This record gives sequence, structure tokens and C-alpha cells, in this order.
Amino acid sequence: MIKKDEQIDQDLRKFIKNLGYIAGGTALLATVPWLQSFTPEKLKEIRNEKTRIALIGTGSRGQYHIHNLLKIPHVEIVALCDNYSPNLKAASELCPKAKTYTDYKKMLESKEIDGVIISTPLNWHSPMVLDSLAADKHTFCEKAMALTMGECKAIYEAYQKTDKVLYFGMQRLFDEKYIKSLQMIHSGVIGDIVGMRCHWFRNNDWRRPVPAPHLERSINWRLYKASSAGLMTELATHQLEVSNWALKRIPDSVVGMGDIVFWKDGREVYDSVSLTYHYKNGVKTTYESLIANKFNGMGEQVLGNKGTMELAKGEYFFEYAKPAAGILQLINQVEQQIFDNIPVAGPSWVPEIATEHETNYVVEGKININSGLSMTGAYKDGSEELIASFCQAAITGEKAKNIVEECYCSTILCLMGNQAMDEQRKIDFPEEYKIPYLNF
Amino acid sequence: MKDILITGKRQKKELIIFSICFLTAFIINIISIIVYGTQWKELWTYIGYVFSISIFFYVLLAIVRGIIKLILKNFKKEK
Repeated sequence: MIKKDEQIDQDLRKFIKNLGYIAGGTALLATVPWLQSFTPEKLKEIRNEKTRIALIGTGSRGQYHIHNLLKIPHVEIVALCDNYSPNLKAASELCPKAKTYTDYKKMLESKEIDGVIISTPLNWHSPMVLDSLAADKHTFCEKAMALTMGECKAIYEAYQKTDKVLYFGMQRLFDEKYIKSLQMIHSGVIGDIVGMRCHWFRNNDWRRPVPAPHLERSINWRLYKASSAGLMTELATHQLEVSNWALKRIPDSVVGMGDIVFWKDGREVYDSVSLTYHYKNGVKTTYESLIANKFNGMGEQVLGNKGTMELAKGEYFFEYAKPAAGILQLINQVEQQIFDNIPVAGPSWVPEIATEHETNYVVEGKININSGLSMTGAYKDGSEELIASFCQAAITGEKAKNIVEECYCSTILCLMGNQAMDEQRKIDFPEEYKIPYLNF
Repeated sequence: MKDILITGKRQKKELIIFSICFLTAFIINIISIIVYGTQWKELWTYIGYVFSISIFFYVLLAIVRGIIKLILKNFKKEK
């Protein structure tokens, strides 16, 4: 029987092998360079080593990470930090050997820590990431990168100077169905990309229960502008990142509208947003998010002139079905000429209602599709692989390519989106925040 | 009950008529493949359709032949 640790190890190897990785394979790593620190060969090299991990923020996302970390053989959770005692206590029960702290700066002084995982409200990302890198710790921080563009730039610059590993919670970069879909898009399966549509719909108030009124802003931090940029940084970051990945470009401008339509409960961030991001080549990404209707769920569609890729479902559809056999086409034409009222290639007022398309699947067999409803973390969405990759990099000290840049660009785009909605005008990508990554 | 006797000559005639129907359907399939630019393997993969169309032609022809025969019979009676 396979031991639990070995099973996890094999799952991680399976993930990268499923992507078509062949030992020493540069073909795969050229398209997904961030996986270079995650190869089965490197996993073998660190088999007898362990990294000592500390967590700042032990709320729902922090505990989700703890559950994943406990499954990784080369990880030891040595410290936990939170200023909210019920969360710290709950996390401590999951890993009783870990030392507990209420002051993260004090924790960062410890020499017993190799890597830090930050799962705190957005306004804390920048100071904590900068302090953690300054304390010579490998650092993983949840998305989005930071609350302001200036903070994002400060993190990016600090990353350029440090020799430490820095990861952000962009789990789609480690999700098999996304990786394969994007590889297919880049190989031309759906033709030229002509547009993208992203949406994320939920039907809940986004609130968490508050035991005492003075904790409202700490626990429901997502709802207030001092600690959150709302739907854009919490949800859109992932999807804008995927849009840029698909197009290998960064949008040059954005327009949008945002409102509080339904949840008029004192919150400051929009509960309904609708934006259009424009790329220099004319392609646009439309983004829509609502939290008072979940009919459409979560999805990202990449529209090509030959087909459409539904990334979140790992499905693709061709614009034109495979032509029927000649004799069937002939029979159909004879039938149309006898029975149809509207001539073939007839009037343009005939409604073009979307028809059913034959579904093709990116990944063969059973794949996990997330509804986008979970506020903590979805099952098999790449989060496990992402955190395992960070822990491996915390041992090897090897920086992962593109992750910081992807997170930087998508966060800046989210913040531009909020600015466009707040000021009700078109916002161009600010020159001072452009980085040498992809094309604008 | 009266026995229906199908003579050898009649059988041969019907077989020739059906062969002509089948050949016509087969040629139609070839023309459709050329016109619609589909694959030549449809010559055998769609042979079932060709056979069905042959039966359709044969039945259609039988109805036409029956009508003609009926008209001729009435015409002869009147004479």
C-alpha cells in the first residue's frame, strides 16, 4: 500500500506529467515557465529536505492552506500569526507544534523560518510582503498584489532586488485545464483571438458573521475601501490574468461602471461591476460581476474566429460544425427548397440565436469544474500545486518566472478598473506603472 | 387463394430496373462528394443511404409504372 506522503508526491508528479512533461523537457517549460521549479526531477532532489513555513493570517484561506500544507512531505509548519484569537486557536489545533504570534514583525525576526505565507486582508499585503522579503524570508502572498498601484510597484521593485522567492496566489497558472486550454489557444486551435468575455456571478452578501460590532471592519474587510478594492481585486484579478495570458498582451485602457445595486447594507465597494478592457490590437475583454444573481456562475470565454474556449469548464467549441456527408447535404438542400419558407442566404433580419455546439473537452476523463461560489478555495483549482511549488522553491531558492509579473499586471488592471468606475472615465495604463513584461 | 407467379423474365427485368436505380443513386453520391467537396470514403461509408435512395427510386418508379399500366389498360379497353 502507498504511504500517504508518497501518494501526495505522486499526485504532484502526475500533475506535471499530465501536462505532457518529458524529463528535461524544454517544450512544456517554454510555454509555462513558472513550472520550472516544480519538475519531478527537482522534487526528487529535495526528497530528504524540509522547509520551515510560517503563516500570517489564519482565517478561512489561511486554514485552507494549512490543510494543503499538511499533505506536503517536505513542509513543516513552524509558526502561526494572527491578531484575531479565534482563528489563531483554530489554526493552532490543526498544527499544535507551531509557535503562535500576534505580531507578525516579531515572528519575522525568528531564524527558524524559511518561508512565509500571507493570507490577510488586502491592505496588509504590501507592508507584510515587503517586511517578509526584508527579513530574508521566501514569501507567498494571496492575490491581489496590493491595495494601491504605488504599493504594487514597491513590491515589484523589491522583488527585482531580492534573491528570495516571491509567489502570489494566482492558482489558475497551476490548473491543468487552464494550462492545456491556453496551450491549445496558442497553437491556433480556435484561430485568432477576436474577443474575451469574463464573468463571475454569485448570490450572497459576501458577509461573514461578526461576534462584536467593533470587529465588523476587520472580519468583513472585503466590503470597505480602506482594506479592499472589492470585486475587482477579489475576483476579477484571476480572470484578467487569464485574459492577458491568452492574448500575451496587457490592455492599454479600460472603461466601466460600478454600483451598489442590491446589497445596500453600509458596504463601500460595488456589488455590480461591468467593464471593458481594450488591447492595442483592438481585442476587448468584457468583465461583469454581480453578487445578487448566480445564474451565469463563473466563466471565461476566449473567442476565436474558428472557435470558442470555455476555460473554467475546460471545454471548446468550433464555430462551424464538421460538414455533413455530401449526400446528406444534397438531401438537406432538396428538402429546404421544397419545405422552407425563407430562402437560403436570405434576409439579415432572421434572428441569430446561439445554436447548440458540439462540446470538445480539453482534458480527457473526469475533471474538476468549480462553480466559483466558494469564498475560501475550490477543490483542485491549482491551489495545492501552487502552494507545493512555493514550498519546493523555498528549499531550492529558485525564483519562479512570471508569477509576480502576472499578478502585478492583473492587480494594476483591477485598480485601473476601479478608478474608471469611480471617476466615470476611460483610464489608460499609467506609463509609470508599466513594467518590461508582455506587450501593451 | 390464387398463386402469384413471377416469371424468370419478370424477375430479370425488375433486377435490371433496381440496378439502374442503385447506379443512379451511386452516381448522385459521387456528384454530391464532388460538389460539396466531402471525403471519397463516403462512397462506402454512406452505402446504406445510397441503398435507401435506390429503394425510394424503385418504389417511385413502380408507382409511375403502375399508373402508366393502368392508363394503357383503360385505353385498350376503350378501343
